[in-house]
Amino acid sequence: MNKNIKIITKYWDVADLKKIKNYESFGGYKALHKFIKDKNSDKFADEIKNSSLLGRGGAGFPTGDKLEAVAGSGEKERYFICNLDESEPGTYKDRAIVDNDPHKLIEGIIILSLIIGARKAFIYINGNYGKQEEILENALEEAYKKKYWGEKILKSDYNLEIGIFSGAGAYICGEETALINSIEGSRGEPKMRPPYPTEKGLFGKPTLVNNAETISNISWIVIYGGEEYAKIGSKNSPGTKLFVLGGAVKKPGVYELPLGVTIRELIFEIGGGLAKGKEFWFAQIGGSSGRLIMEKELDAKLEFGNKDFSIGSGAILVVDKTTNIYDLLLSWTGFFRRESCGKCVPCREGTFRLWEIAKRLQDGEISEADKKAVKDILWTLENTTFCPFGKFAAAAFRDAVEKLKILK
Amino acid sequence: MSKTIEKILLEFDPENISLLPALKKISAAFGHISEKDMQKVADYFEVPLSKAYETASFYDQVQIKKQPNLVIKVCSGANCAMNNSFAVIREIENYFKIKAGDEFNAKVKLEIISCLGQCGEGPIMVINNKVYNNVTQSSVHGILEKWL
Ligand SMILES: Cc1cc2nc3c(=O)[nH]c(=O)nc-3n(C[C@H](O)[C@H](O)[C@H](O)COP(=O)(O)O)c2cc1C
Ligand code: SF4
Ligand code: FES
Repeated sequence: MNKNIKIITKYWDVADLKKIKNYESFGGYKALHKFIKDKNSDKFADEIKNSSLLGRGGAGFPTGDKLEAVAGSGEKERYFICNLDESEPGTYKDRAIVDNDPHKLIEGIIILSLIIGARKAFIYINGNYGKQEEILENALEEAYKKKYWGEKILKSDYNLEIGIFSGAGAYICGEETALINSIEGSRGEPKMRPPYPTEKGLFGKPTLVNNAETISNISWIVIYGGEEYAKIGSKNSPGTKLFVLGGAVKKPGVYELPLGVTIRELIFEIGGGLAKGKEFWFAQIGGSSGRLIMEKELDAKLEFGNKDFSIGSGAILVVDKTTNIYDLLLSWTGFFRRESCGKCVPCREGTFRLWEIAKRLQDGEISEADKKAVKDILWTLENTTFCPFGKFAAAAFRDAVEKLKILK
Repeated sequence: MSKTIEKILLEFDPENISLLPALKKISAAFGHISEKDMQKVADYFEVPLSKAYETASFYDQVQIKKQPNLVIKVCSGANCAMNNSFAVIREIENYFKIKAGDEFNAKVKLEIISCLGQCGEGPIMVINNKVYNNVTQSSVHGILEKWL
């Protein structure tokens, strides 16, 4: 496998791509020119479908299928939303995209919006990303002057408005239906699905929501074609992925690698292994919501559709043997307790009680009743909550019980 | 102060999509949104007062209670936790004789927050919007004293 292929980060260190001139000098906005020249949205929808691109927001849903659903809708009014809410702990890959190459994101947003026939697109950005909001505002302004969006894009009949919507500090608003509620001026609680946003999304209209990293692959696919894209990475999971390495690793940071790379390669080759004097204990894949992976499982491939763990946000935390596991439990459970939106009882109560138990574990006051309660709470979170947040909240704790034996 | 809330409101179209942005802006401008101001927001957007509160109370970046002069936040994301952020939290708790998350002290509040994406430089501490990185159990005193 060619580990050096770069789709998203290729020119990050070469020039200041925030300047539209530099972005254009490396082929930027060529994909949009190509799209406008052809005026054949079906063709490009097919390219994206053929690429088998899977959503990078965590769930790995085929982008082409979602796109088709919105493009083929009978409703005239449609929306596109770029999900830049990124608030999974340990994850800052979407922010890195904005910091390094905002126009690639904007170009993707424009193309996807035009393909689905949306006249209005929103960028929903994490409320703590003030600096990135500014970068995007400037980049949008430059792109607007070049007629890349607005009325009569590149003198064609296409029109598109793009607006930035800044979140207000709620993790759950990264979930697409909660995100939509939040734009509509309501509490950011998830909605019942179906109907899916592709049917009834923003203001009840068909809406395509894509993660910022997913969108950053689009210009490449338009230029080189879906078939070429599908050759990169692993068979069922094509393309590259941004991973965020953190914890006790020598070289933390954002890395782009083809999907299918093993966890071991990522930590020990790319990340340089563990920091001096530290010994590997386990890795957590996908932020606070992620599963724990032990030494003997390190040869597992990082790709979508894996039965044993989900790559989630792409954050990988390397934990060494000196780490206080009770601090980590408190970190995880505290996060889920704070961020539970409160809509459903099993999650609201379950995350609270798990956090209380984590505190008692920390203080060495864990009782037999607590140990039994942990089992019930985890089961309830995994099986009865309204949205996937409940499963997220249980994942690492369950592994800590089963693999790290914290209750023994 | 009440002169400018009208001004802030006028920056927004009175449509639902502008409700959260307006709430955020008012909260940031005055530190929190008083009941009187919330009524003005509700009137401006032509929604019931309860709806304005319903939305406002959901979001961390919209305050509906007056905040203490000193608001200290410490990140407890896994990266920061591995770098001993809980020791920093305990140190601050002892220093002010408060508990993280409590709202009993009118002058100072300590909040535990989640990752701010600056994981490589943790533990991260934020005091009234100023960000400190690589905070340790021993360096935290010096920082706090600057704010007293
Ligand atoms: C609790 C929760 C949090 C989520 N947070 C994010 C997020 O921060 N960013 C994101 O892009 N998707 C997030 N998602 C996934 C979105 O709901 C949605 O699937 C995604 O934005 C679709 O884009 P994609 O198909 O390009 O992946 C979250 C989902 C859940 C259940
Ligand atoms: S599972 Fe949690 S986050 Fe999801 S709807 Fe229920 S309370 Fe809200
Ligand atoms: S874990 Fe503290 S900033 Fe990311």
